[in-house]
Amino acid sequence: MRAAHLRWVLPLAVLPLLALLSWGLTRSPATLPSTLVGRPAPDFELPSLRDDTDSLGLADYRGGVVVLNYWASWCVPCIAEHAELVRLSESYPSSPVQLVGVLFQDERENGRRFMSRMGGEWPIVTDEGSRTSIRYGVYGVPETFFIGADGVVAYRQVGPVTWPLIVSKVDSLLAAGRLLPSEPVDPLETSYRPETAPPANR
Amino acid sequence: MTSRALRAVAVGVAAWCGALPAVAQEDTLAAEAPGPAARASTSEELDALVTQIASKLRCPECRAQSVAESSSRISRAMREDIRERLEAGQTPEEIVQFFLDSYGDFILLQPRARGLNLLVYLLPAAGFLVALGIGLAKMRSRRRDLGAPDGRPGDPVDQMDADDRAWLDAAIRGGS
Repeated sequence: MRAAHLRWVLPLAVLPLLALLSWGLTRSPATLPSTLVGRPAPDFELPSLRDDTDSLGLADYRGGVVVLNYWASWCVPCIAEHAELVRLSESYPSSPVQLVGVLFQDERENGRRFMSRMGGEWPIVTDEGSRTSIRYGVYGVPETFFIGADGVVAYRQVGPVTWPLIVSKVDSLLAAGRLLPSEPVDPLETSYRPETAPPANR
Repeated sequence: MTSRALRAVAVGVAAWCGALPAVAQEDTLAAEAPGPAARASTSEELDALVTQIASKLRCPECRAQSVAESSSRISRAMREDIRERLEAGQTPEEIVQFFLDSYGDFILLQPRARGLNLLVYLLPAAGFLVALGIGLAKMRSRRRDLGAPDGRPGDPVDQMDADDRAWLDAAIRGGS
């Protein structure tokens, strides 16, 4: 009788463990939760990419929604998401939404060349020594943090951002901060053409 | 299995269980990082302390290596950051806590003994105890099957039927 019990009790005891391990296998290490979500975004004051005598800080944009994008010129997925960032920089002209780029582990010149080749105009800082990246717990690029008007990190995207994701996060942060856009942005609109189109010979 | 062997196994398991509170104590990080007494006064000692702290941290890019071993740019930056924080007077505990605040538990190469992480520490001992229990139960049932009332293996000659015993007796007599 005991042996008969063992025959089904043991597999039953092992099943939850196997289920837990199987669930673990489905999780991607790339989607590790950020410890910053729900906490104030660490402040920084870093040199501007375009003019290293100038500096920019997160505090300059306090009170509005900040989309903080870590990128590098050597990063292939950053090329893929660049068009969406250009679109973001041009889609909220009447709302306090600011896209800020942080050049991650890259040479200043390479970053400048990338921007002039790909187009787009938004504040970008360089993080030489990666101290700010470490404070944000950045694993690699691209990584994007959506920061609300209260200065709290609401969401972190690992990997390229998509337009529907940008619209959903930015609009919910604008709504949370009662900073709704005068003209709603359509997340499914696909006929967008950037005003600062990159040169045709790139 | 002899009673001496069983006693040795029991002592081993008890010693392991006794070590559990020490594992749990690492949760406080007091044991995770060297204490203030380990503060460096020379550059060699500072290097050693940086390596000691960096060896507990996971390289965010390469994941399978420690920050001390990795040559990735982010690991180099983290080592430099550790050095600057030590020079600024931060304790190793504070430095490890800083990286935990930025990256979460994943940054520690040795998981802290809490929550689901406890499984890492408890499952091997639990598995060993279950296997030991099954082994002992099997041995006991096997002895019972051999027919000895006291659970000790009986003499096979005692379990022969009359015909076999007569044949054996004849064979022994014939041989002598």
